[in-house]
Amino acid sequence: MAFLLRRLAFYLAAFLAAATINFFLPRIMPGDPIQIMFASAGSELSLENLNALKLTFGFIDAPLHEQYFSYLKSVFTGDLGRSIKYFPLPVTELLGRALVWTLGLVGIATLLSFTLGTFMGVMAAWRRGTRFDSIVSLSAIFSSSVPAVVISLIVLFVFGYTLRWFPNGYAADPMLDPGFTWDYIRSVLYHGTLPLLTLVIALSGGFAVTMRNNMINLLGEDYIVMGRAKGLSDKNVMLWYAARNALLPTVSSLAIAIGTILSGSLIIEVVFNYPGLGNTLYQAILARDYPVIQGQLLIMTAAMLVSNFVVDLSYVLLDPRLKKA
Amino acid sequence: MTNPVLSVRNLVIDYIGAETDFHAVKGVSFDIQPGELFGLAGESGCGKSTIAFAVSRLHRPPALIRKGSEILVDGRDVLTLDDDALRAFRWREVAMVFQSAMNSLNPVLTIEEQFYDVLRTHTQTTREAARARAAELLKLVDISPDRLSAYPHQCSGGMRQRIVIAICLALNPKLLIMDEPTTALDVVVQREILQRIDTLRKQLGFAVLFITHDLSLMVQVSDRIGIMLEGHLVEVNDAQTIYHSPQHDYTKRLWASMPKLHGAQIVREATS
Amino acid sequence: MPLIRQLLHNKKALVGLTILTLIVLIAIFAPLLTEYSPVRRVGRPHQPPSWEHWLGTTRLGHDVFSRLIHGARVSLAVGFGAGLLITVIGTILGIIAGYKGGWIDEVINFFTNMVLVIPNLPLLLVLAAFIGQASPLVIAIILGLTSWAWGVRVTRSETLSIRQRDYVKSAEMLGEPSWRIMAFEIFPNLISIVGINFIGSVIFAVIAEATLEFLGLGDPNTVSWGIMLYNAQNASALSVGAWWDLLSPCLALALLGLSLALINFAIDEIANPRLRTGGMLNRWTRLVHAGEGKL
Repeated sequence: MAFLLRRLAFYLAAFLAAATINFFLPRIMPGDPIQIMFASAGSELSLENLNALKLTFGFIDAPLHEQYFSYLKSVFTGDLGRSIKYFPLPVTELLGRALVWTLGLVGIATLLSFTLGTFMGVMAAWRRGTRFDSIVSLSAIFSSSVPAVVISLIVLFVFGYTLRWFPNGYAADPMLDPGFTWDYIRSVLYHGTLPLLTLVIALSGGFAVTMRNNMINLLGEDYIVMGRAKGLSDKNVMLWYAARNALLPTVSSLAIAIGTILSGSLIIEVVFNYPGLGNTLYQAILARDYPVIQGQLLIMTAAMLVSNFVVDLSYVLLDPRLKKA
Repeated sequence: MTNPVLSVRNLVIDYIGAETDFHAVKGVSFDIQPGELFGLAGESGCGKSTIAFAVSRLHRPPALIRKGSEILVDGRDVLTLDDDALRAFRWREVAMVFQSAMNSLNPVLTIEEQFYDVLRTHTQTTREAARARAAELLKLVDISPDRLSAYPHQCSGGMRQRIVIAICLALNPKLLIMDEPTTALDVVVQREILQRIDTLRKQLGFAVLFITHDLSLMVQVSDRIGIMLEGHLVEVNDAQTIYHSPQHDYTKRLWASMPKLHGAQIVREATS
Repeated sequence: MPLIRQLLHNKKALVGLTILTLIVLIAIFAPLLTEYSPVRRVGRPHQPPSWEHWLGTTRLGHDVFSRLIHGARVSLAVGFGAGLLITVIGTILGIIAGYKGGWIDEVINFFTNMVLVIPNLPLLLVLAAFIGQASPLVIAIILGLTSWAWGVRVTRSETLSIRQRDYVKSAEMLGEPSWRIMAFEIFPNLISIVGINFIGSVIFAVIAEATLEFLGLGDPNTVSWGIMLYNAQNASALSVGAWWDLLSPCLALALLGLSLALINFAIDEIANPRLRTGGMLNRWTRLVHAGEGKL
């Protein structure tokens, strides 16, 4: 419990740091920060609306520290300002809508690739030096070095444009009404296949090699030899003695990987024109819609912190040494 | 004379390298009689642990037991067993206590589960029956049955080692191998555990292969002792004989290097 | 140095080093390898690969091959420049935190962990967006200043274990100043960790630069692989069938990344002998099959 509380306090500090970056960035750039932040609006913004936005971002007639607290107050009350491109849509609403798709994509891809990769890593470590082991090593080299943008463009080229097996964009058929109908769900799955495939290709190898190396480092441990000496079946020793213990460091490496996964999904969404955070952000970058660009840093940081907390929780569940006696 | 429990014949074990091999065990032969406590001594790296691992065939590549070696347990050559027969043989006939007391229990399973998996694998048993048997075994090593639901990290080092011994006795093995079982424990706990083993051995009738580099301890507890040097078994004899009149030069040097505190006491007994 | 000699005996490292050397040579001699300027219109738009234009032309009629080999210079410069900066910062902070301990360690460790949980790409996007059209130099600098955390973590934990060794203790007894101990007793023992960190950072920087530029945060007048991707994507290269425009920088990035990753895995294998699957296992398997012995 103390462990989890400490983590929570730390996550709060990290979120504060992200907000602080947002606050200072326009202010340390050369030029007028207000001009920088809202330049893309041109003269379309009424004075009243502009003043409301200025207040949200802490541009008030007061010393810097008061500006800072004013901005923090906005952030912690959930007011991230309004999109300039889609004025007056609030940033939270714009990003919130997109977040659903991103979280779905990232969640499923993480689950799939973690399961697949971990399983491959266990098998590779158990059958050390076989051809399967070399294949796992090669796929890990591949996924640690080939950029997500490259993998997704090649997947799009092969399956989308050349073979024409899957659609080239959107999360669902735009002609269908969103809802829990079979047609709509099927369309979502159909459209999600390529982005999902790309993420799984990009991620599995990394999980596999982490698990493989953790397993190999454990195989010499006395308790694993004792498991074999007890006459337990290979499967039993492999799963309940070796893999179950190797899973602990693998899960903690998952926490660090989440940042990479989120970043990867941003790119993939742009390539596949998928309506998640990445694509929304891409549009915002092209339009220099700074409130949205700043808002995504906070939302992504929050997503990252929540996932880290989930990893912490599962770590506590997996490792009896962290549970209270 | 009865048939030996363990009969090692011409055992040769190499560690295979990319170009040359390391010869760890070079043609070792010895017997252990039922109920006997046989000590195997030597410096670290002399091949004594390699022999211990070979008896249950626990080696992993690149270790290689060369052809022509024989390891007979109760007259049956362990090296001819297929995978299934080998799994059935392990723990039922030969159980083993490993070097590190802190580390030989699986940290993520409760004590009960570590009794249950071995009982379930080798016998037709229910969870309840296994639990009862585990409690009974723990009693043999003076541990309260409520420890069954604990995880290894909740037990002290000495307690963990006694739990391992209790798990070893689960299937009434004929031979118990102890590979430097007390190195990580303090002296008092060491003695206590060895005394316990001695009592249980007389009570249950299993033989013990005891491996250590602690010579004074070995001389006190063993019936017979074998001395290893660089993969060879250079001398085997009764504990008292080998102590009082060592034949091999290396044995003499080993005795000379024994800590004076224990050594002096025994030498005085011997000369008086 | 033994590490380099061992690398030359490792198959993965050899393949990686060969590809990398090739890319470096091509980048250096780019002007000699093509008659076309990378920034001039030299043909009709979107011509497919031909004898005249080996990798075809872009929508603006630029020669793709020429842009590709000139762009290699930018990718390599940003990759190695930012990689070096990331490694220097990470190594120095990691050694100081691990060796000094106490409050210094706590402060460094706190900031490191904090940077690790703020997602890297979104942070880079915000920074780059405020800077405007970022030149490769600016991209390299922001990468260097934001991406050192992983290096600090691994260097610190390795330093913690080295600090306990006898030769460090004896240097302390002799009254050596702590900067000398860190530089001459600890650093030399971190070479493989630093090497892995450096090459990993180079891979990261190459990928991040291409990604930022692909997302429209780079300077569109640069000749680089990321800008090539950005232009090709904007020209809808795939939907108009001009696959060469998009796939050429893709394959170049993949090749550079793979060559670096192969070297990195090789260093890891050399530093962690347990992970190796070497000739001894092959020999062992042959002996078992020949009936020479068993387990």
